Amino acid sequence: MSEPAISVRDLVKLYARRGQPTVRALDGLSFDVARGTIFGLLGPNGAGKTTLVRVLSTLTRPTSGTANVLGHDVVAAPLDVRRRISVVIQETAVELFLSVRDNLGTFARFHGVRAAEIQARAGRVMDDFGLTGDAHRKVIDLSGGFKRRVQVAKVFMVDTPVVFLDEFSTGMDPILKRSVMEKLRREAAGGRTIVLTTQILNEAEELCDDILILNHGRQAARGDLHTLKLLSQGVYDITVTFDRVPPGVEEELAATHPIRLSVSQNTVEVTVKEDHGGILAVVGALAARGRVLRLEVTGASLEDIFVELTNGGRS
Amino acid sequence: MSSLSAVMYREGKIRATNALFIFWDVIYPLGYLLVFGVGMNQALGFSGLPTNYHAFFLAGVLGMAGFGIAANTAWSFFMDRDNGIFYEMLTYPMSRGEYLVGKVLFNIAIGLAQAFVTVSLAATVLGVAVRPQGFPLLAAAVVVGTAGWFFFYAIFALTIRRNDAFNTVTSIFYFVFLFASSMFYPVDPLPPVFRAVALANPITWHVDVMRFATIGQGDPARIALEAVGFIAFTMVSFAGALIVLRRQG
Repeated sequence: MSEPAISVRDLVKLYARRGQPTVRALDGLSFDVARGTIFGLLGPNGAGKTTLVRVLSTLTRPTSGTANVLGHDVVAAPLDVRRRISVVIQETAVELFLSVRDNLGTFARFHGVRAAEIQARAGRVMDDFGLTGDAHRKVIDLSGGFKRRVQVAKVFMVDTPVVFLDEFSTGMDPILKRSVMEKLRREAAGGRTIVLTTQILNEAEELCDDILILNHGRQAARGDLHTLKLLSQGVYDITVTFDRVPPGVEEELAATHPIRLSVSQNTVEVTVKEDHGGILAVVGALAARGRVLRLEVTGASLEDIFVELTNGGRS
Repeated sequence: MSSLSAVMYREGKIRATNALFIFWDVIYPLGYLLVFGVGMNQALGFSGLPTNYHAFFLAGVLGMAGFGIAANTAWSFFMDRDNGIFYEMLTYPMSRGEYLVGKVLFNIAIGLAQAFVTVSLAATVLGVAVRPQGFPLLAAAVVVGTAGWFFFYAIFALTIRRNDAFNTVTSIFYFVFLFASSMFYPVDPLPPVFRAVALANPITWHVDVMRFATIGQGDPARIALEAVGFIAFTMVSFAGALIVLRRQG
């Protein structure tokens, strides 16, 4: 078996602030990421996703534990790590006073791409990202969404074997997002390892081969989508559309402490953990409350698993 | 080396988006010399100097220019931080030292162009008797001076989070370093306390070396000591800036 792209052991990151309790942003994390996979880091706000990316990309030193990228320790050999990674950080990071083309070119130059190759790649990448018409515009004059495009597009100018994307799809329209996701799949199929953090769970569901759910800096769950769904066996989404929502149904369902509950217009969506008999009983009780126009029962989504494992980030 | 050239290329690209800025950087010391230097010379005479005032002030203007370039280059850390690009750049394949040195290289080139224009026109327009044999020393002083002051300012630019706070610090430095030095007047006739402060001021060391290089004024032994002192100041500032930069993130 080949060496993992990323290897993390007992990683701890503490943030000490004067007069405030120490924050354990990462609390003894250990995991490996196989080469050529798309690895998703999920978790509620403050779970430690961005801190983990910052440690792996040599921006932040861990308090203890080790982290290796392609066999290079992030503390002992940060430059060797940086030679093998490209990073899209959470904040929009662009050269505001340079044109779109120069943003791409400058980034590629840092990563050692030759001048002649830069021109060809920039043309291709700008086409892919719908930036060709803005090639000579200064980035300061672009909208927030386009600035983010430029930032993400830079990653496709270089061939670093590991890519970190922190909330990469923020501000992207659905069509571009889909196109970027397709490109990421192709890059992974070509051997690049993609590490992405996201709050958008269907993005991770569609894209990731391997998912780590973090909560309070610790591993809450780990595995591919199917493995994670096994963790949530017995969790079902029930969607019932009535001709009109029966009075009191929301209160009655809330009293059973479902994982999630929402009532929107004439549709009730509830996520519950029950055995088969229990599910049928819930569905039967709901159906008896009014005229049902549509009924759907599905297995747990990643969002359900996420909510159950992280307790909405409150546990 | 490719990392250094990449940082230098980036700085050049950004500066080149405002050609007027570069033009101003290159010619403003000359303007200062022509307006302030000639004006002071005509108005006050400065009969106590071994040369006329604008010849004396030539090194002061070059020192002031390098000091200004360094402060502006350090200030660009704020711009990079506001753009978010600062933290992304820290993930690029270069060491923190290469980042610091690369950032100042382009501006050293501007400093050299500035010194060339200023010295050439001081000689041709104002008739300042500059010493061609001092040019290598002058070039070295411009390079080390710009770098030294940039590293010094970088410590503050990387430590201070607020742009306005940094601007206050640079204003204080301008006042203290520039006026308590040999930039505008000779140090020796000053009151003892003022003189001691000026002699301990790296601006004095820097300007004295450039004055010796341009018009040959100064005791060579003292100039050598000041040159060594300024190199030490540059190295300590570089180490300080490196430590602060490594703590970023």
